[in-house]
Amino acid sequence: MKDLRGDYRRNSFAYRMLIPYLILLALLVVYPIITNFVVSFQQDNNWSLANWRYLFANPDFSKIGFNTLIWTVGSVTLQLLLGCFVALLLNQEFRGRAFFRAIILVLPWATPDIVVAVAWQWMYNDMYGVINDVLFKLGLIDYYLPWLAEPTLAKIAVIVANTWKGFALSAMFYLAALQTVPYELHEAAVVDGAGVFRRFTSVTWPILKPHVITTTMLTTIWTINYFPLIFTMTGGGPANATDTFVTYAYRQGFRFLEFGRSASMSSLTFGIILLISLLYMTVLLRREAE
Amino acid sequence: MRKSTVVWTMLLVLLLSVSAFAQDRLVVWVGGHVVEQEDTWNKIIKDFSAATGIDVEYRLIGFDVYYDTLVTAFSAGRGPDVTFADLGGWAPTFAAQGWIESLEDRLATADVTEQIWPNLWPTVTYQGERYGLPWYTDCRVLMYNKIMFEEAGLDPDVPPVTWDELLEYAKILTDPAKMQYGYGVSGKRSEVATLGYMIFLHGAGGELLTEDYSKAAFNTPEGLSALKFYTELHTTHKVSPPATPSYGEDDFRSMMAQNRVAMAISGPWAFPLIEMANPDIKGNYAVAIHPYSAEPASVLGGWASVVSSSSTKKEEAWKFIDYITSYDVWRMWLERHGGPMPSRMDVSFDAPEFDDPKWEVILEAFPYAKVRPPVPEWPEISDRIQNMVQNVITGQVSAEDAIAEAEKEINTILGH
Repeated sequence: MKDLRGDYRRNSFAYRMLIPYLILLALLVVYPIITNFVVSFQQDNNWSLANWRYLFANPDFSKIGFNTLIWTVGSVTLQLLLGCFVALLLNQEFRGRAFFRAIILVLPWATPDIVVAVAWQWMYNDMYGVINDVLFKLGLIDYYLPWLAEPTLAKIAVIVANTWKGFALSAMFYLAALQTVPYELHEAAVVDGAGVFRRFTSVTWPILKPHVITTTMLTTIWTINYFPLIFTMTGGGPANATDTFVTYAYRQGFRFLEFGRSASMSSLTFGIILLISLLYMTVLLRREAE
Repeated sequence: MRKSTVVWTMLLVLLLSVSAFAQDRLVVWVGGHVVEQEDTWNKIIKDFSAATGIDVEYRLIGFDVYYDTLVTAFSAGRGPDVTFADLGGWAPTFAAQGWIESLEDRLATADVTEQIWPNLWPTVTYQGERYGLPWYTDCRVLMYNKIMFEEAGLDPDVPPVTWDELLEYAKILTDPAKMQYGYGVSGKRSEVATLGYMIFLHGAGGELLTEDYSKAAFNTPEGLSALKFYTELHTTHKVSPPATPSYGEDDFRSMMAQNRVAMAISGPWAFPLIEMANPDIKGNYAVAIHPYSAEPASVLGGWASVVSSSSTKKEEAWKFIDYITSYDVWRMWLERHGGPMPSRMDVSFDAPEFDDPKWEVILEAFPYAKVRPPVPEWPEISDRIQNMVQNVITGQVSAEDAIAEAEKEINTILGH
């Protein structure tokens, strides 16, 4: 206790500087979350479990849950692999490295969601799209594929688009981590006769590993929550194949004006994300303690 | 001391500017087809202000975000004084939320009332009261590409009349090797899939809901034949492009402009748009009443002016919507734009602009045009229809199972 008070006295300026931020956080984040939670337990201004019952009794619920899982696991895995690979490439010494770093790492990330979604929508277009054209000319397909019109293809299509949109940020994190690996370590490993693969497993990977865990958790949270890309590209279709928790919550709220049902779905999503965040913080705190 | 003075002054300025913002002006939000119409809106509002002394502040909002913008504003209690509701059920939906004002008393005594096409009133009615004044309307017909008809050896002046002819023509017009397709089936998860199904359903003599809108009525032999015919155009006969489940009317209109799709559902709003997409198409496309199996059918759309219940200027708001729906203002619209179709019968019949084969078809089809059931649950009902169409068109579910499932779901939505 005494220690805390001493701590406050020493850092009172810092604590006071935090107050405006805390007030804003309470107003803009805590208040809506609580309101949302309250609304999810109300129907016609009375307390009720109807929204939650509707959510779990909905025959589409398991399908939407499965879609969300595929969308999240698929996007996160691909972003992790591609991000890692690109970070390793961009960590090499070569001419124009700064230029390529800027183009590859900033462009996808800085392009607005809607622009990305519309651009990919056109690339996937069955008649005019560049993807079909390229695959056809390479002889990989015999006829043009209706990318966004067939349930399985549409799932793949949105995940690939999201991977492009999201890998840059992962790559940026990994590249930052890679730059902390002292060059001498690599040199020493080369002198000891370690090959490329051995150098990666023994020198690079131990340093990269903690960053992979935290980055994966962050991208997971973002992906579950990520709405504009999937909604613009498919609207949740075809036949619900790309309907996720967030597109469902949007439709219930803004299309059908069933705000209670929308709130129950978004509260559920919030709960899941909160769990992942707690996990993330445990990992982070444990690392700090080490 | 001085610091806090600065802070207080800033707060004061902020407050003043907020209240200055909410001053004595009639706030009007216009949604839908807006791009080429901005000048005309400017003129209408200037003329209205000059005639009445009422200041108007207006915003044009694109259709894609219009519904969301309205829902957000209304649910925050900050809706505009006057806005527009899609005739596809928005007015009853908003009325059920208590967002818009009943216009029943004003309409009962207004001159404009008897000039409105009578089949438009159900679209703005909720619990027996009228909540909107229809402003413009349209109906859906078959649009087709005459060049493609000629190239396929079909007479471009003899469009198909029955479903059998539609299929026969579509097959002749389809050539996947050249990426040309006979008929565009709207299969996208959007209102257009519902509209497409409705045109076939009504064309088969079926109805979506019972007459009192209390139950689903489409799980009948007519409803099933419509669903099967509509989806089989894509799944069995392949006369619609491969990515049909991701396409809607707008996509087919662009493809028709490029001679890739020969026939599709469309309407008068599309005339300027298809000519904009490809100026060479002018004179090379035509419209006809959509093919049917039992009776001619169409579905109507358009917009109605509505007044927000939270408005403090309801009198001025009524004056404004009465003004824009007047004969003279409509004449100006048509002189400037040649369309859209007015909600007023007198203007529609007088207009020299409609002395055109395409508009004659529209006026001929209009009396057959059905409304989308004007119930507050419409967006959710439409979503179930879209889901039904998508499930069948992607081959996930059989037509029989999908229609039974949709019937069950819609009855649940309607409280059964």
